[in-house]
Amino acid sequence: MMLLYKAWLESRVRFLLSFLAMAGLSVVFVFFNHDVRTVVTDHDVSYAEYIWNGIFKGQLREIYVVLALLLGMGGLDRERAYGTTGYTLALPVSRWRFIASRGIAGVIETAVLSFLPATLVPALSPFVHEFYSWGQALQFGVLWTIGGVLIFTMGFLASVLFSGEYSAAVAAMILLFAYSITADLPGVERYIVDIHDTMNGSGPHGFKTLAMISLTASAIIGLAGCITTKKDY
Amino acid sequence: MLWWKAWRESRVRFLLIALTLSTLCAFAVLFESYIRQHQLPIPLAMRKGAYTEYIYNLIFAGTAKGMFAILVIFLGLGGLQRERAHNTVGFTLALPVSRLRVIGAQIAVGMIELATLVLIPTILIPGLSTLMHRSYPLALALHFSVLWFFGGLIIFATSFLLSVTTPGEYTAPVACYLALVGHTFVAAWRPLAPYRLHLMWIMGEFRSMGWDAAHNLLQPPPLSWLRMSVMALVASVLFSAALRVTDRQDF
Repeated sequence: MMLLYKAWLESRVRFLLSFLAMAGLSVVFVFFNHDVRTVVTDHDVSYAEYIWNGIFKGQLREIYVVLALLLGMGGLDRERAYGTTGYTLALPVSRWRFIASRGIAGVIETAVLSFLPATLVPALSPFVHEFYSWGQALQFGVLWTIGGVLIFTMGFLASVLFSGEYSAAVAAMILLFAYSITADLPGVERYIVDIHDTMNGSGPHGFKTLAMISLTASAIIGLAGCITTKKDY
Repeated sequence: MLWWKAWRESRVRFLLIALTLSTLCAFAVLFESYIRQHQLPIPLAMRKGAYTEYIYNLIFAGTAKGMFAILVIFLGLGGLQRERAHNTVGFTLALPVSRLRVIGAQIAVGMIELATLVLIPTILIPGLSTLMHRSYPLALALHFSVLWFFGGLIIFATSFLLSVTTPGEYTAPVACYLALVGHTFVAAWRPLAPYRLHLMWIMGEFRSMGWDAAHNLLQPPPLSWLRMSVMALVASVLFSAALRVTDRQDF
């Protein structure tokens, strides 16, 4: 529990900033839908289509992806730069437990962020005399959580592999760009799931696909754990 | 020596960004037919367009521009706040130079790195296009370099100011990214849209490109030096604020 608290303290500013931004933008998308609609789409669309274009597929999802990636930063390599690794490693717990705590804290934060638009949009829509289905919104919440966790683990792995200052964040961002382009390549798309399409509901999002994505995310955290246990601090 | 220190601190980030931009430019030019054929990120209606339109949609107004804007945030992270966390600020402040010179060197090196980055597409796109028996005007590429430089300068300055004022290693990039996103929403808002305050629109000449008479070359309007001067002024104000804050900080 104490390790979870430590992981929370290390990431809370980033998380709270992200939380405020996601909540604020969701509110803007709903309350200023007439103004934002012209920015999001070129033509007249229904409210549900606008919400999908702007939030669950478009800008807000892209913002969420970057924020999830940045939530993955941190760990023992960062502590080495601060000179506090010794104190952390002196605690009577294994390195695996550090990694697991960071992973769990990150997954919870990512899930909370992903369910923000999924709850705010249907809850606030009646205030502007519009309707958005709770079932559909929560479905996107689940897709975002699973996709967001995979993206979080990309940042997580980069933070274990790259020890230079901010290099992990830059590398993670580049890794994400490279993945996004590669997943669209013809031929490759059969072997790699495009997580962006899965998150916006236009790609495969059956139980099997979601289970595979979750398994991949767990494997990446496991890989990060293996690397951390073998590292010399 | 301060310049060397600033370079050492930022070189990994700079080299990673440079490598990525170079790869993307080379990929766009060398695999043009493959990209066009396989519906990679170019709007559907423009896949059969002229070469300049293809490069514009993929590099100067597309994926490469978005990636550049996000990665510049990380290039701008600097200041002494970061050194405090690493417990090296005492050594830096013990050097017989003012804080302004330390910070000034970081800004100067960052600006040189930024200028180098914006020149990558300008050098690679026309150069590699020739190899592929294609032609892309150098003047057109330079036009976008100037726009990317001034747009990138504002992002760089914002990131620098935030890294000086906010604690925590990753708070500044998150805050800067959110500021960038927030600005795009405000600038795209209908009453403000005609003023074209949207940095991404300015950097990509959004909705201001036009065809030449033969409909072969997608051309931008002449550079607005007034706009560039205002952008430089905004960046200077942000840098001055960062210098002032650093000067008064208690380490």
